[in-house]
Amino acid sequence: MPAPRGKFIQAVLVLIAAALLFRYGIRPPMPFSVFSLYMAVTLMAVLVYVSSDSDSWRAFVAPIWATLTEPGRRPLRLALGVAIPLLIGYYAYSQAAARAEAPLELRAVHPAPPDTISFRGKEINLQHADTPVRKDIKQNPANRDKHLAAGAAIYIRNCMYCHGDLLDGQGHFAHGFNPQPADFVGPNTIAQLSEGFVFWRIAKGGPGLPKESTPWNSAMPAWEDRLTEEQIWQVIYYLYETTGHPPRVMESHAAGPSAPGLAAGVLAPGALALGPRPAAAQSGDVALGKQVYELRCAGCHGASGKGDGPAAELLVPRPRDFTAGKYKIRTVAGPLASDQDLLRIVTEGMPGTSMPAWRSLPEKERSAVVAYIKTFAESYKGAKLEAVAVPKEVASSEASLRRGKKMFDAFECVKCHGQAGRGDPAPGSDLKDDWGQPIRPANLHHPWTFRGGSERKDVVMRLLTGVAGTPMPAIADSVEDYRKSDEKDADVREASLWDLANYVRSLGPERLNWASLLSIPPATGAVPSDPNAESWTKRPGAVLPLVGQVIIDPRNFNPTVDMLTVRAVYTEQEAVFHLTWDDPTASDPTKGAPKPDMVAVQLPTGPGTGDRPYFLMGDGSHPVYLLTWRAGAEVGEATAAGVGKMTPQAGEAVQAKGQVAYDAGQYRAVIRRPLKTADAPDFVFRPGEFFPVAFWVWDGSDGDDGPKAAVSTWYYARLEPPPSKRQFVMPPILALVAGAAELGLARWARRRREAA
Amino acid sequence: MKQAIVASVLAVAVAAAGVVLIAGPPAGAQGGGSISGEVKLAGAAPAPKVVKVNKDNEVCGQEKKIAEVAVGAGGGLSNALVAVTDAKGAKPAKPAVLDQKGCEFHPNVVVMAPGELKILNSDGVLHNIHTFSTANPPVNKAQPKFKKEMVEKFEKPELIKVQCDAHSWMLGWIYVTENPTAVTDGNGAFKLENVPPGKHKVEVVHPVLGKQAKEVEVKAGQDTKVAFELKK
Repeated sequence: MPAPRGKFIQAVLVLIAAALLFRYGIRPPMPFSVFSLYMAVTLMAVLVYVSSDSDSWRAFVAPIWATLTEPGRRPLRLALGVAIPLLIGYYAYSQAAARAEAPLELRAVHPAPPDTISFRGKEINLQHADTPVRKDIKQNPANRDKHLAAGAAIYIRNCMYCHGDLLDGQGHFAHGFNPQPADFVGPNTIAQLSEGFVFWRIAKGGPGLPKESTPWNSAMPAWEDRLTEEQIWQVIYYLYETTGHPPRVMESHAAGPSAPGLAAGVLAPGALALGPRPAAAQSGDVALGKQVYELRCAGCHGASGKGDGPAAELLVPRPRDFTAGKYKIRTVAGPLASDQDLLRIVTEGMPGTSMPAWRSLPEKERSAVVAYIKTFAESYKGAKLEAVAVPKEVASSEASLRRGKKMFDAFECVKCHGQAGRGDPAPGSDLKDDWGQPIRPANLHHPWTFRGGSERKDVVMRLLTGVAGTPMPAIADSVEDYRKSDEKDADVREASLWDLANYVRSLGPERLNWASLLSIPPATGAVPSDPNAESWTKRPGAVLPLVGQVIIDPRNFNPTVDMLTVRAVYTEQEAVFHLTWDDPTASDPTKGAPKPDMVAVQLPTGPGTGDRPYFLMGDGSHPVYLLTWRAGAEVGEATAAGVGKMTPQAGEAVQAKGQVAYDAGQYRAVIRRPLKTADAPDFVFRPGEFFPVAFWVWDGSDGDDGPKAAVSTWYYARLEPPPSKRQFVMPPILALVAGAAELGLARWARRRREAA
Repeated sequence: MKQAIVASVLAVAVAAAGVVLIAGPPAGAQGGGSISGEVKLAGAAPAPKVVKVNKDNEVCGQEKKIAEVAVGAGGGLSNALVAVTDAKGAKPAKPAVLDQKGCEFHPNVVVMAPGELKILNSDGVLHNIHTFSTANPPVNKAQPKFKKEMVEKFEKPELIKVQCDAHSWMLGWIYVTENPTAVTDGNGAFKLENVPPGKHKVEVVHPVLGKQAKEVEVKAGQDTKVAFELKK
């Protein structure tokens, strides 16, 4: 009976094909919920098809029926009888054991804007089609460049760090936020909004969102405190002109065309704009390159290539001065970079700096900009660039790492990169780049900040060629001398730069996974206050990105501390946080440092059931509660009503305790506090309930103080309930029930057959 | 002639100690005269900056005095370069030498003809040669303790700042020149010998204070005195 069996197999094949298509054939991959929905629909369709008439149905059911009843299929029946309950049991177990996920937050994405808002006491109507800036440009088109340049400068100095040079929401702090900063280029934000709406969002920020749009972690500040009305309209004009999106206009006003004849690409040369793509290519690479450069690079690197654009003074490290002819990332000998080297940095950006990846530009424009950049340095004229010879690759191995460690010591890499490689040189070291700007040695444990890439071959190339313009020297010439320095030691005799690169690369993690949730399990046994106790260091930690506080002055555009590892547990009495962060210098005012290193765990006040405070220490009506530590003092508690408005608790109110240790460029802190205290503002830890938590770190030696800090956005945390026994009870029960049902089905089928 | 070269090599090695003649006159310039004199600083000398040494103390000592403008007892300015700018020096037989000793550059100002410079590390700790040249390609190369000697090329005339990033106080100067050049001693005195008779332009260059030029007439077998005064 080939046909009936065919029917069943057909159905199974259709289902498998559909599953493969939905799982792997569609990009981006769909969430599991959508996948299961599609599969359910497909299954229904298949069932409808096979049951379209009774013959077809019989043909479909026949193999199942046969398996249930035929004596010859007993082994298969038995196998299925064991396998299916086991699968069900396993599924039940994996579901019961699943890690907690942050609770779903429902909110309106684009809430209805108010008709008017109060802006610094002035009423502003958001319904007008023409903004003051557009009106001015209509009356006097010559003012367009002025407004656009002003908008660009405001954007670069205030918005770029999160929303990105490309206006795509991928600024160099974007990874620290959830939700991610708005992407202005795509179709989902300003393209479907009116300029009035955008004004409202900029002026009032996340704290000004209406109820239906909360709770939300929006980090967007209320800019009305820091920008004037005209400045906001200018930056809005810049956003629309640069992305090429026309603003949505209220229907009653739609008849009047908005700003005609101002097509993209007519920006005056030298305008401080990272503006729209040039409309047409000019003859010659350099001419096109100049055009691209002035639109996209001059904001930081300056119109004359000296690295002195309007954003330059805010950036650490400073943008490259192209006139010097010294390039950090090179594969050639000497201080100049090859065309490929330059193109690579233009395309991929420079990790750990403000230089973004410009891969969205056509290759032609990127190559042209490289050709133009080279015209700034005299030394490129007639220069012959020689590729550096790379030694034969040595794979990473225990022996290679041992040789590499010996090289690390012999070459005295510790002088700048520190004993443990965390970029913690001897106290008092003041490294400067060739322009006299302070410069930090790389933290070798954070390979994602390596300027020229973190692959082993990148590290080898940096060792060979050095990083021109910085204190990092080339060591290619010394390797031969090193090999001869101790002929008796085979590790020295056979050393290769690859060994050193392998060792350097082994200090940091292979990959970095940011946590999205802080799960706080109950402690088993005593919880030590010693931050170096093994029960802490062996526990897996949640790694959270920290970003500079770039909203309230003084701002922190390049924080020393870019991540924090959090380990936390709780007991019946207390919650205990263990925090780890790298800081190249310990600054303790009781030992003469001008400003202390500090850390804070930010929580809501009291039961934490009200509106979530703004992530920058809340505000007057939504204060936050903080567990704090500062170098030279004990662990403490505080409340705050906005950044820089912190009120420490004193006397008996302080029940938090802890210990902090510093070694080889790394802080480890234990901060513990009773779950509940008698003080009203103190946060109450309640097992099983999600609560928001954020973190602050100050590097005193970098001048951090008050608002100048590194900060995380809000994360959800939960004191996990003790592991339920259910995950060991329910699965066997389900498996037994499934087995019994199968047995019953088979028996029933056999009886029906016998009856027939 | 041979003596002059030996003298000049010796002089480079112990530059701080007195009058230095780097390059002799063109071969066969017998009967030349000499130019000697003093370079002074107008006004009071700035106090040297004292830096506490925070690493390699066993080699570098406990503190270093940094004096970009170093002045002797009588107001004489040391480490100024005095050159006859319209004469060519003889090609030296051996490259000039810059040593790193006690975490200082010796000599503090090294004069060399275009070509090679031998750089020594007598300290047994990591140094790095970091030059701020513009006419010549800038160099930043590590010289770890086991690399006692390296050679770098400087082909174009230039006054080049050199530093060591591992020891922030280390500051030296490399003067690449084709002219006969002397470096003033601790009291600001200098002497240029075997200068061909006739009128010459003599220029003093100080890394921080800038330049000053004077016309000088040299007579065979005689010493011509010239004095300079540089302002801050």
